Amino acid sequence: MKLDLDVMTLLPAVLAASLLCGMPASTQPATTAPDNAAFDANQLFATMCGLCHSDGGRAAGKGPQLMDSSRNDDFLRSRIKDGKAGAMPAYGSTFSDAQIDAFITYIRSLKPREG
Amino acid sequence: MKKQWWYVALPVAVAVGATLAASATLAQPVDTARIEAAGQNDWLTYHGSYKSYHYSPLSQINTGNVGNLSVAWIHIPGRSTRGLQSMPLVADGVLYYTGSYSRVFALNGATGEVIWSYFPELDEALIARQTHSPYNRGAALGEGKVFVGTMDGRLFALDMKTGKVMWDTKLIDSQKLTVGFTGAPLYAKGTVIIGAQGGEWPGRGPIFGVDAATGKKKWEFLTVAGTEEAMKTWGGDSWRTGGGGGWMPGTYDSETNTVWWGTANPAPLYDWSGSDYKTQGARPGDNLHTTSVIGLDIDTGKLKFYHQELPHDAWDFDSSVGEFVMLERDGEKLVVHPNKSGYIFVYDRSARVKNVWRITENSNFVKNIDPKTGELIGRRDFTAGKVDEPLCPHISGGVSFNSGSYNPKTGLYYKLGQEWCMTLTVVKTTPVTVPQAQLNLGADFKIAPPPGGEIYGHLDARDPVTGAKKWEVRFPEPPLASVLSTAGNLVFVPDSRGVIHAYDAETGTELWKHNNGTGHQGGIVSYAVGGKQYIAVTAGFGGMASDDYAPTFGGVYKSMPRDDGALIVFSLK
Repeated sequence: MKLDLDVMTLLPAVLAASLLCGMPASTQPATTAPDNAAFDANQLFATMCGLCHSDGGRAAGKGPQLMDSSRNDDFLRSRIKDGKAGAMPAYGSTFSDAQIDAFITYIRSLKPREG
Repeated sequence: MKKQWWYVALPVAVAVGATLAASATLAQPVDTARIEAAGQNDWLTYHGSYKSYHYSPLSQINTGNVGNLSVAWIHIPGRSTRGLQSMPLVADGVLYYTGSYSRVFALNGATGEVIWSYFPELDEALIARQTHSPYNRGAALGEGKVFVGTMDGRLFALDMKTGKVMWDTKLIDSQKLTVGFTGAPLYAKGTVIIGAQGGEWPGRGPIFGVDAATGKKKWEFLTVAGTEEAMKTWGGDSWRTGGGGGWMPGTYDSETNTVWWGTANPAPLYDWSGSDYKTQGARPGDNLHTTSVIGLDIDTGKLKFYHQELPHDAWDFDSSVGEFVMLERDGEKLVVHPNKSGYIFVYDRSARVKNVWRITENSNFVKNIDPKTGELIGRRDFTAGKVDEPLCPHISGGVSFNSGSYNPKTGLYYKLGQEWCMTLTVVKTTPVTVPQAQLNLGADFKIAPPPGGEIYGHLDARDPVTGAKKWEVRFPEPPLASVLSTAGNLVFVPDSRGVIHAYDAETGTELWKHNNGTGHQGGIVSYAVGGKQYIAVTAGFGGMASDDYAPTFGGVYKSMPRDDGALIVFSLK
């Protein structure tokens, strides 16, 4: 399925699904209605987050290093949802709680790159 | 909005006020002809005038007395989240400037006293969801108004004398597109031109022409697939999320009735097409008119000519940055424009390439750019996965979004170069457009020093057409602010540590410096009131390039605020 711009107005019913489909480029296959299990936090991190969280969150950049973060899950959840003025956008209206948890799982899984 | 009516009502009570009031009464309105004339006491557009020199013909402050330069007054705009990045404007002794959240101030240029201020009500919930926000980079003047864009997609006009809102026009749906306006508008011939943010954002980067009198939209040019020819350069539906944008102001060529504007990179920033970028990857094709210099008819917004500086830009080295220096060489009228990559393009007045030269030492995204044709030679197009050799320059560019300066007295172009690189791993991504558009990067990356060396920045004094270098001054961290040169044979460089330097324009010898207490990443101008010359500079660090400084360089940047700023104005003691 390919989405056209009109789809963007049909939300929020297909919101979670569209987060992954969005507006696919021609050579990228669109994903139909992915559930939270299909939520690819690794890919989304490289889509949206890597500008500030360097090397996929492995190093400090504009934003802090996330790998081995001493912050607890509640703090990370709150920061992703509510953001921090002038530093971190608020994603609470973009992602569901389950999707934010998927980001936290991604952060906790970060390891130094090999080689 | 606050007003100080005493200034208008009682000009005889204060000598300076009387001088200003008299000059305001006698002054010509700010219009196309006056901007074209570029009077020495004023600074009427973001780039100074349509010539885009960032040069002041004032010489009261000069190489012989610059050592006596000291602070005349300071203004604190407040709420300077991510620093202060704007370029002040000056007309008839009044200084106009903007701060974060599109705060607008009109100040007595001699004393700093507030004449009026205006703090627009913004959609703060939307701004909290933005990444490239909430800084504002400047205003435009024309027809008795001050024009400013907002992060929530509006362009408004204020009465120059009172700060009263004359009109406020919503131009883009920032709730859907997330982005708004951070760049300064341009006024010319009854039209206000402003471009949206959008390089890494999945939109189509419109540039707007708005009626200066009424605020009504006159035209809109889509930088992504805005013409039939351009549509053919985007494979499949990739044009729908192509990025583009024209987030910094261009200039106006009255001889051809043309607006010159630079456009941003396409999205995603980093493609995984490999060398078959014409048919493979996220956005197959050249991706017109991203990373291009375009010429638009100011009355209709129709495309008259263009040059795509980087076809299928796969490195985020867009063309929105910098100045459009309009000069003549051997009877030929030329335009000099820096690309974010650090390559400097020299065009004729129809954007035909006349020369290309490079300001950076460390650059490997291409082997070269043909100086005769502008064709990219030996380009690096990545596939998904780890990129072996670091990419140079870093995503923050070989030059920053701020401007260099051309001094017609010395014939030299003073421009900052940035030497840094990045490691990256390209990742296939899918654009996110709901419920709001999100960044589309296409990679994980990290800043890195150049091979075999350290990160640094440099001020170059070069021939603007040939690129021949006369002198260079190095800085341990790249300065990010704009540069000013003057007829006093001076070049001013506000650096990232917070020190403003004055150099001899002929030799590069440092003649004066002053610590403003926080990093610079905005504008610097010179003007005169009552026969006295002033230098005005914005200080205040934070934003997409400067936020990398604390983890990269440590030192003074560790404690440097990213939510503070000041306008600091100097004059001779």
